[in-house]
Amino acid sequence: MSPTAQAAPPRSAPRTPAPTGGRRARRGLSDAGYATLLAAPAAVVLLALVGWPLVKLVVDSLHSGSGLGDGRRFAGLANYVTALTDPGIRAAAGRTLAYTLIVVSAELVLGLAVALLFHRLGPRARILQTLFLYPLMIAPVVAGLLWRFLMIDSVGIVNELLTRVGILDNPGDVSWLSDPDLVLFSVALPDIWLTTSFMTLVLYAGLQAIPPDLYEAARLDGARGLRLLVSVTLPLLRPVIAVALIIRGVDAARAFDVILIQTDGGPQSASETLSLTIYKTMVSYNDPGTAAATSTLFMIVMMVVAMVAVLTIWRPGKES
Amino acid sequence: MSHLLAARVRTGLLWAAAVAVVVVYGFPFVYLVLTSFKPAVDAIAVPPTVLPQRFTLDNYLTALNRPGVTASFINSVSTAVVATLLSMALAIPAAWGITRYRTRAGQLLMAGSLLVRMAPAVAIGIPLVTILGAAGLTDTPTGLALAQTTVALPLSIWLLASFFEGMPREIEEAALVDGCGRFTALLRVILPVVSGGLAVTAIFAFLASWNEFLFALLLTSVRAQTTPIAIANFQSQFGLDWGPMTALATLYSVPAVVLTLLLQRRIVAGLSLGAVKG
Repeated sequence: MSPTAQAAPPRSAPRTPAPTGGRRARRGLSDAGYATLLAAPAAVVLLALVGWPLVKLVVDSLHSGSGLGDGRRFAGLANYVTALTDPGIRAAAGRTLAYTLIVVSAELVLGLAVALLFHRLGPRARILQTLFLYPLMIAPVVAGLLWRFLMIDSVGIVNELLTRVGILDNPGDVSWLSDPDLVLFSVALPDIWLTTSFMTLVLYAGLQAIPPDLYEAARLDGARGLRLLVSVTLPLLRPVIAVALIIRGVDAARAFDVILIQTDGGPQSASETLSLTIYKTMVSYNDPGTAAATSTLFMIVMMVVAMVAVLTIWRPGKES
Repeated sequence: MSHLLAARVRTGLLWAAAVAVVVVYGFPFVYLVLTSFKPAVDAIAVPPTVLPQRFTLDNYLTALNRPGVTASFINSVSTAVVATLLSMALAIPAAWGITRYRTRAGQLLMAGSLLVRMAPAVAIGIPLVTILGAAGLTDTPTGLALAQTTVALPLSIWLLASFFEGMPREIEEAALVDGCGRFTALLRVILPVVSGGLAVTAIFAFLASWNEFLFALLLTSVRAQTTPIAIANFQSQFGLDWGPMTALATLYSVPAVVLTLLLQRRIVAGLSLGAVKG
C-alpha cells in the first residue's frame, strides 16, 4: 500500500471534492462526496498501476532504440507504421482473432449446453456442478502443461484413446502441437477446457434468475423445447451472455501462458498470438518501440470491439 | 402410465449425460494426478497407461528437492495474500460507492476497471518493470502483488458490484433508520449480508494472483519467483521431465481445489443471491 501511496499523491489530491451538502447530508458530506470518497482509493491505485504504465507505454511507442539509454530517440509514428505493416505482426493479429473466435464459440456452445443440462436437473445435480467447476481453479500454466502432456505426438493419451476407439489408425497419425495447420486449434483446447466452467457458471446463474412463471406462460402458449429456448431463454439471458462473451473474448485474445507453455508460439510461429509476439519483440528482439506501438494498437482495438459489444448486445440502458 | 415412464427415461438420460460430461471433463486432471504417482519411467511409457502400475511419491520428492521449488511456494502464498487483501480493501468501498450512489465518477471507475481488463497484460507489465524498479520493488513479492492487483482489483470491483446490486435496498435503509451512520451500516449490516459474495470475490482475487504467470515472468527473477514460473522453468532446465512436472502441477493445484471445496456452498449461495432476492 505505501509504495502506491507514495507514487500517487499528485493525482489523489484533486479527486476528493468539497462537500456540496446534498439533501440527505450527514456529518457534512453529501452522498455524492461520500461515494467519491469510497471509490477514490481504488481509482488512485488503478491510475498509479495501470494509468501510469499505459502513459509510459504510449511515450515508449513514439521512441525508437532500446530503453537502455543507447540511442533512444523520438521516432514519431514510425513504430506504428512498422506495427501495421510488418507481416509477422499482421499474421499474429489474424491468429489472435482466429484463436479468440475458436475459444469463445466453443465455450458458448458447450457452456450453454451444460448450463441447460444442470438447470434442468436442478439442485440435486449440485455435486456434478461443483466437480464441473474445478478446472476454473487450475492455473493456466498447469492446464497448458497438462494438455501438452495429453497431446504429445504419438505417445500422448489423447491419440492412444482415439486409436483404441478406432478414430485413428495409428497414434502417430495426428500431430496436435507440431502440425502448423492444426496447432492453433490444439493450443486453444486447454483454454476451452479451463474456462467453459466459467461460461456454465455465469449462464447457470442467469438461468436461475429467470422467473419460472415466464416458462409457464410460454408453455401455455404452446411453446416447447427449442422454441422455448430461442424465444424465451436466450432473449432473457442476453445480458448475461453478453457479459460472459466480452469477458472471455478479452481474456482469450490476451492468452499468453497457455500458449507459451505448450508451443512457445511454434511451429513456425503458427500458434504465435499477439501477446507472444509483443513479448518476443520486447524481450528477445529488444525492440521496445515496436512492442509498445503494437501493444497500444492491440489495446485500442480490443477496447473498441468490447465497447461495440457492450452497446449492441448488452444494451445496459434497457436493463435499468 | 407410459407418459410417466417416458418422463423417467428422459430424466435418466439427462443424468447419464451430465455424469458423462463431468467424467470426460474431469479426465485430464485425474490423469495428471494419476501420472504424478507413477514411477518417473512409467510416466512417459509408450503406449501410455491411465492407471499407475505402482504408486510412488518419488516424483514429489524429486520435484520438491529441486532448488527454489519450496521457496517458490512461499512466494506464491505471500504474493497472493497481499494481492487479495489489497484488492478487497480497495474494492469493497469502491463497489459499494458505485452501486449504492450511482454517481458519474462511480460509473467512470466502473468503465475504467472494464477497460483495464481489456489492456493486454504485456502492455502493463513491460512499463511496470521500470516503474517498480524505480520504487525498489524489483523481484519482491510486494512488487509482484502490486502488479497483480491490476488484475484482481477490477475483477473484485465488478464481482462485488454485482453482489451489491442483488441486495435489497431496504436492508441499508433499515440500518440507517436505526441510527447507524453510512459507514457503520456498510460494515455492520451490509457486508455480513453479502458475506457469501465477499468470500467468492476473495477466492477469485486470490486465484487471479495464485495462477498469474506473465507479470511473474517479467517482474521476478530469483528471490520472488512464484511456482508457475518454477513449473515453466522445469522444462527448459531439466528437459521434459514429465514425472516431477506432473507432481509439481498437482501440488500447486491443491490449495485452489481445497479452497473451493471449503467455500463451495458459499460460492453457490453467493452466485444465486441475485436469483433468490425476490
